[in-house]
Amino acid sequence: MQPIKNPIGRILIHLSLWVIVLSSTVPFIWTVLQSLKTKKQANARNPVFWFKPTLEHYSELWLDSVPDNFTALAFGLIAIILALILIRVFAKHLPVSRWVVDGFIVGAIVLILWAIPSLVKTAEFYDYFVNTIIVATGVVILSISLASLSAYALSRYIGLAGVGLLLLALAIRSLPRMAFALPYFWLGQISGLYDSYFLVIITLVAVNLPFTIYLLRSFFMDIPREIEESAMIDGASRLGAFVRVIVPIVWPGIIATALFTVVLVYHEFLLVRILTLTNWTLAVAMQQFLGGISDSGSLPLKSAAAVSAALPLVIIVLIFQKQLVKGLSAGAVKG
Amino acid sequence: MKLKTFFQFTAPSNLVMVALMIIPLGLAIVMGANYITYATFKEPVFVGLSNYMEVLADPAFWTAFRWTLVIIVVVVPAHIIVAFVGALLLDQVTGWPRAFYLAAMLIPMIVVPVIGTVVFRQLFEPTGLLGWFLRAVLGGPFLFTETSMKVLILIHTIWISSPFALVIFFAGLQTVKQELVDASSIDGANRIQQIRHIVIPHLRALFLLNAIIAVMDFFRLFDNVFVLTRMNPIFHSDTLQTYLFRMAMTVKRLGKANAGAVLTVLLIMVVLIPFLILLYREQTEER
Repeated sequence: MQPIKNPIGRILIHLSLWVIVLSSTVPFIWTVLQSLKTKKQANARNPVFWFKPTLEHYSELWLDSVPDNFTALAFGLIAIILALILIRVFAKHLPVSRWVVDGFIVGAIVLILWAIPSLVKTAEFYDYFVNTIIVATGVVILSISLASLSAYALSRYIGLAGVGLLLLALAIRSLPRMAFALPYFWLGQISGLYDSYFLVIITLVAVNLPFTIYLLRSFFMDIPREIEESAMIDGASRLGAFVRVIVPIVWPGIIATALFTVVLVYHEFLLVRILTLTNWTLAVAMQQFLGGISDSGSLPLKSAAAVSAALPLVIIVLIFQKQLVKGLSAGAVKG
Repeated sequence: MKLKTFFQFTAPSNLVMVALMIIPLGLAIVMGANYITYATFKEPVFVGLSNYMEVLADPAFWTAFRWTLVIIVVVVPAHIIVAFVGALLLDQVTGWPRAFYLAAMLIPMIVVPVIGTVVFRQLFEPTGLLGWFLRAVLGGPFLFTETSMKVLILIHTIWISSPFALVIFFAGLQTVKQELVDASSIDGANRIQQIRHIVIPHLRALFLLNAIIAVMDFFRLFDNVFVLTRMNPIFHSDTLQTYLFRMAMTVKRLGKANAGAVLTVLLIMVVLIPFLILLYREQTEER
């Protein structure tokens, strides 16, 4: 639609958009404010809007004891993260291939996570954070490798079997979590796998596979058939053409799908809650942190926990906003 | 691609889906026919259909089912309207303001639902911003009662599910043919008429898609109800999923909870099958 030109109309549009923006963000802005207050300010009956922010609740949440050189370490960490983001953003201009860059970044993140506990004494919250990353990595690797083969076949095969498989995936996607959480719980108890990463990972792979297939399929459909056909004329097998020709082209789509998988794993509450006892991911740990009676525990500490757990995902999504929106709408609009 | 190659490529993921989804579902049916508690994990007692009968005769199950239906009936249209209006407004701006508005609107969808709900609830507590505001407006403290809790659940569900529908509508709006809109304005159609007669018919499939996804998601609504009510029975706000969770984790009747889960799947399939048939027809006609 062509934009409205009338100045009063423009103002009304922006005002209405601001109403939506505020109702989407005010709960989080409020929580960020609460997390920076002292306990007394946060519990005040009349909200305190002007105060001297404090980071004590964040250090209480993440660290058992604060080391002397903490500021230096914190700035070092922030600098490394910024450097990694810059490398990713300017990957196109570097003389090495994308694979090397992505591999390097993943390696660096693993190294940082592994090194942090040996530099500072971290609190339990850090363990939940690492748990979440371990589970998310496992689910991404497994579900992307399984789903990309299937999604590729679905994008190339014209026939009823393909439609049937898509519908089956859709039906599986609509199943309520409780329908298989309890059998998994029972199996876990019987086999002794209860509370292990393995059980959580395979369960989440199973749950997210249909969605991953749908999403990847829409990316594969964008690639013309002629590309792998010419590779196959040159003597490559279909699998060879897929791995060497198609996957590199569809790589941005795979990254977007991987991000979605991370978001879904990070969001998953019910299954992890039922299948673990102590090896919680952040979503479950948060509920334990924040649940209970509202007056017990420190309100700013809870707020700091909520902000800490929510922030990594928000940053990731804001960096990759374009790919995510494209990925979300690709499947839907093209059908 | 040949059928054989198709099956070779899809075999790994098909195997995983069958092994990890269909078999557990079968197991759920079997477990539903047994009496299992935490003490008797390894020696379930076969009781036939009595768990299923017990669930069907349980008024709490039907209360949960009715409340789930109320949520679907209220929130599906409400969130579609919010999302569609939001998408139309967003379509009116360009450049960096659009990116900014969109990023802010996506926040409720991106933040972990459990955390988003906690944060949402905190807002209404006595120390929260809206708790303070409502206290000033109402003249008394804002209390979590059955009614206010149910309203909060409805509002929160709209809040958390609108961004996804908005993204879908927004993407759809980019595919509206400008020539059609231009032609209609030459014929003297105003903006409302253009939206009614050109945009909405063009996006018909997306309205259906958003509604179906929402129905599927609200049937398994759990996280936000769990956090908002803290599973406190005084709110009488159990959805089907929290009812089953209570049965399994609080009442500790695993067999009965499984029977309930199987019955829930049947209810969902009854709702979903007409849509699956519709989708199947559309897909086969295209080919």
